[in-house]
Amino acid sequence: MGEMLRGKVAVVTGAGRGIGRGVALALADQGAQVVVNDYGVSVDGREPTSEPANAVVAEIQQAGGEAVANADSVAEWDSAARIIATATDTFGRLDILVTCAGFLRDRMIFNMSEEEFDSVVGVHLKGTFNCIRHAAPIMREQRTGRIITFSSGSGLFGNPGQANYGSAKAAISGLTKVVARDLGKYGVTANGICPVAATRMTLTPEVLKAREIRRQQGIIREESALRQLENLRPEDVGPMVAFLASDFAAGVNGQFFLCAGTSYSLLSLPRAEKTLYKEGRWTLDELDELVPVTLAEGLVNPAPPKQA
Amino acid sequence: MGQRLKNKVAVVTGAGRGIGRGIAMLMASEGAAVVVNDLGVQVDGRGQDTSAADETVAAITSAGGEAVQSYESVADFRAAERIIETALKTFGRIDILVNNAGILRDRMIFNMSEEEFDSVVAVHLKGTFNCSRHAAAQMRQQKAGRIISMSSTSGLYGNTGQANYGAAKDGIAGFTRVVSRDLGRYGITVNAIAPGAATRMTATVGDSARQARSRAGVASMGAEARSLLPRPQREADDVAPFATYLASAAAANINGQIFVVMGGIISLLNYPAPVRTITKPTRWTPEEIAAMFPSTLGMDLFNPAPAQRD
Repeated sequence: MGEMLRGKVAVVTGAGRGIGRGVALALADQGAQVVVNDYGVSVDGREPTSEPANAVVAEIQQAGGEAVANADSVAEWDSAARIIATATDTFGRLDILVTCAGFLRDRMIFNMSEEEFDSVVGVHLKGTFNCIRHAAPIMREQRTGRIITFSSGSGLFGNPGQANYGSAKAAISGLTKVVARDLGKYGVTANGICPVAATRMTLTPEVLKAREIRRQQGIIREESALRQLENLRPEDVGPMVAFLASDFAAGVNGQFFLCAGTSYSLLSLPRAEKTLYKEGRWTLDELDELVPVTLAEGLVNPAPPKQA
Repeated sequence: MGQRLKNKVAVVTGAGRGIGRGIAMLMASEGAAVVVNDLGVQVDGRGQDTSAADETVAAITSAGGEAVQSYESVADFRAAERIIETALKTFGRIDILVNNAGILRDRMIFNMSEEEFDSVVAVHLKGTFNCSRHAAAQMRQQKAGRIISMSSTSGLYGNTGQANYGAAKDGIAGFTRVVSRDLGRYGITVNAIAPGAATRMTATVGDSARQARSRAGVASMGAEARSLLPRPQREADDVAPFATYLASAAAANINGQIFVVMGGIISLLNYPAPVRTITKPTRWTPEEIAAMFPSTLGMDLFNPAPAQRD
């Protein structure tokens, strides 16, 4: 057991399994008291149960840590408030919020249903907002706090078949950047993790099948990436989150870290790579002439047209 | 009148005013038949007024172009389908979709209401999904198409007081990157523009908010860059030429990219990439990371809003 989070109280959403579980264990191992939140649904968001949250609480307690289970959904405003209240009611404060809860409903954009889009955005984006919004006044009042969100390479780099998930995860990165600026002056930091791990969510039979189809069609070439993925354990993300939650990371704010197994990377923030400038408005004739040899030079189409 | 978009059909949402109007006008002047969609709401999403769309249509037709109005809301899945159907029924096809409609409801995160978050995300992010989803099915059949969505430096760089808008706009950037890969093989390109312009919408932010941000030391890079530009040089109509360029045949190979367009500035944005990496063969402990971080991943990190002593 470490001491880096002694006296701190954490809420971890989606902590019943996978990465969230690893985070809850890592935080508890550093002395934090943890609200283990998990709605206990299947990967596509169905059949809630409190089993997973209870199991992780038992695991933490057996290792000598302190934890309490909560099975509310992050996607509802009021139930998200109950998750946060569980921390203040049980442990008297809230220092750390880690938002891992999420699920997948992959589909190509031209076939995606409204419900597939809404449900994924509802859990990831709205769920992250709900929890942050209820935690923010508490942390602002305390003049200290840590918010660690989960974004994804899907939205940042672009994974086919994930218009819902990629949108939601990129939106979480935008949300995190704004929250870092809204709360930084109050001693609260907000940072994001882009995890790469083999979990129930990333390695479902459906996901594997859909990816295999896309690979066969030549849309993606990720067989090697997928083989590597199986070796990236979800527990490997926890230590990085524990560090970001600690006093050692007080100056780290508005940043994103790619966590792939035991490799951790700082990600670059958006910036201009190439710029065209003139005084006044461009004409189309000018753009026709200049863009191909400047901004568009060397650009690779990630999915070039197929000859029929 | 130009010929770049001759025989093309475009849908421009939020085309009653500001940036959308400029794009609709220029696309029409390049020969496109344009569906001018605008619900005609206030900047905060309230009220409704068909005159905004009507006026843009009148301006296009009086200049010799072709246009039809649509008053449907992009935020509603079925209404968005009717916007796309307007293009198909009136002009027989859809080649270009410009997702431009949007509203603002600024508030600091600790005071933002659920409704303020939901309404902004519904129009920007869901609205972009809704229109793109219905257009995509059609463009895929045609094996050609252009989708151009408006993102924002608010989400890309982070603007204080805009958790809703920043999330939605960065969400649109993610949507753009994913959908470019879903649709590229069918001859469709999907790109985004983060515009900086003096419009009715940005006017609501107000100089007082900007001054408060700069006093608090929480200006975004976007705001700093914008402040370098005198106002007359970042007019709403400055965005139209590049949007029209992306819609033209000349831009067939530009796919999955985000551009910042402010006045005479046009920038290609990077894809996020690892800057520095630490790795070890076995699992890290938090103590090891704390020891390594300052001289590796944490070197020269910029804190956009450092803690202030009371």
